[in-house]
Amino acid sequence: MTDQEIITMVNEVFEESFEIEKEKLQPQMNIFEDLGLDSLDIVDLVVALQSKFKVKIHNDDRLRKIRTLEDIYQFAITTVLDQ
Amino acid sequence: MQLKRVVITGVGAVCGLGQDVPSIIEGIEQGKSAVRYMEGWNQYNGLRCLVGAPAELKNEKEIPRQYRRSMGRMSIFAVQASQQAIADAGLAKESLSSGRTGCILGSTMGSAESLNDAFEILLPRKDLTQLKSMQFFQCVSHTAAMNVSQYLGINGYVMATSAACASALQALGTGYDLIRLGTQEVMICGGAEELHPTVVGSFDVLFATSARYNHTPSLTPRPFDSKRDGLVCGEGSGVLVLEEYEHARQRGAKMYAEIIGYNTCGSGIHVSQSYKEAITCAIGDSLKNASLKPDDVDYVNAHATATIQGDKEEIEAIRKIFGNSIPVSSLKGYLGHTLGASGSIELIVSLIMMEKGKIYPTRNLDIVSQECQGVYHVKEPLRREINVLVKNCFAFGGINAAIACRRVD
Repeated sequence: MTDQEIITMVNEVFEESFEIEKEKLQPQMNIFEDLGLDSLDIVDLVVALQSKFKVKIHNDDRLRKIRTLEDIYQFAITTVLDQ
Repeated sequence: MQLKRVVITGVGAVCGLGQDVPSIIEGIEQGKSAVRYMEGWNQYNGLRCLVGAPAELKNEKEIPRQYRRSMGRMSIFAVQASQQAIADAGLAKESLSSGRTGCILGSTMGSAESLNDAFEILLPRKDLTQLKSMQFFQCVSHTAAMNVSQYLGINGYVMATSAACASALQALGTGYDLIRLGTQEVMICGGAEELHPTVVGSFDVLFATSARYNHTPSLTPRPFDSKRDGLVCGEGSGVLVLEEYEHARQRGAKMYAEIIGYNTCGSGIHVSQSYKEAITCAIGDSLKNASLKPDDVDYVNAHATATIQGDKEEIEAIRKIFGNSIPVSSLKGYLGHTLGASGSIELIVSLIMMEKGKIYPTRNLDIVSQECQGVYHVKEPLRREINVLVKNCFAFGGINAAIACRRVD
């Protein structure tokens, strides 16, 4: 899977699970301040990413540092490569 | 202590016949049935009843996602019905957050579909890691009350009644008491329910559902009819705005009716069967609380789900209290049995009957069963002034409830 394919799949999660329009999905967007997610959404983000990429990230401490969409792209790319 | 008077100033509903009260009334006036053959239910081994009265889930995305994520179908129906009721009552948004407005919504349980989804995710591998943050918020018994009050910003009393098919009437009765006592000024009350094979199954295993009309759905349920064979489950929500009389009068609100009596009681006899003695007690004490004589009542909107035993016991109780000339009808033939929402949806329709001076007949009542005779069964639309009506609800657990409403002149 290429990095771009992973980015597209992360974007699909944001469209499908959080109903965010494609145009807003820019790497620099802060997922809380710009995209309107809250702490409960992070639980759902983890569930959705697990389902999308068939990975286990439920207890992954790296999730605590995520702020921007770019952070999630990099997290997903690294996770997919690791697993 | 002088008890306050309580009036109904707004109504809202969603069910199989429509997305709002005018559509539902139009459907009833046209004699329509919301009962359909339910595709896919035949995959459940042993499920005899394959018909239901589904409501359409529409415009749910008008509710912002961060509110909607904790809502199953029934909570969405409840929010939509509540919004209609509040708009109908003309209540200002700010008044909902005054601390003097509360919300009580009843249901048999939480969202059946969400419960089913949760178990399907959780149980096969005993794995919690795929559960969404709000899955259990959709499943809890107070999901409708919780979601409606959060979405509307209601910060007074928030409660959920859970007494199966008597849930909505218990919500209304409790709201009535809170206003009478001066604890709250306005109460958003009613019920919500969701159609799902697991819900139908709870009646089906007891042979209480209709199973002979799977290929002619509009012919069932048949309250009081000689060919009735059980109930048909439906879904939706009915919500009423209850308001302290002076509060309503001062703001010039429309008053559908005044609630003048209410009672709920257990049978203490049997967990699933209806008994005329307990039903008589529920209705009789609601009249006593209202200082009404049986002759004062112009119409009884029956619970009558079309079960063999339940209809018989209800009619015997009605006949014992009111005699043989009281007009009686059931709405289940149009709407199905909306369970925890039935008390509020059917009370709303009854209030419209009061407003129009017209009693809607029992749909599918062709030949009154021998054991259900002895009252004035309304089989055709009946022009009749209704000054006082009584609405009944009876539930699994032997829990009965009745409410009496009077026209406000």
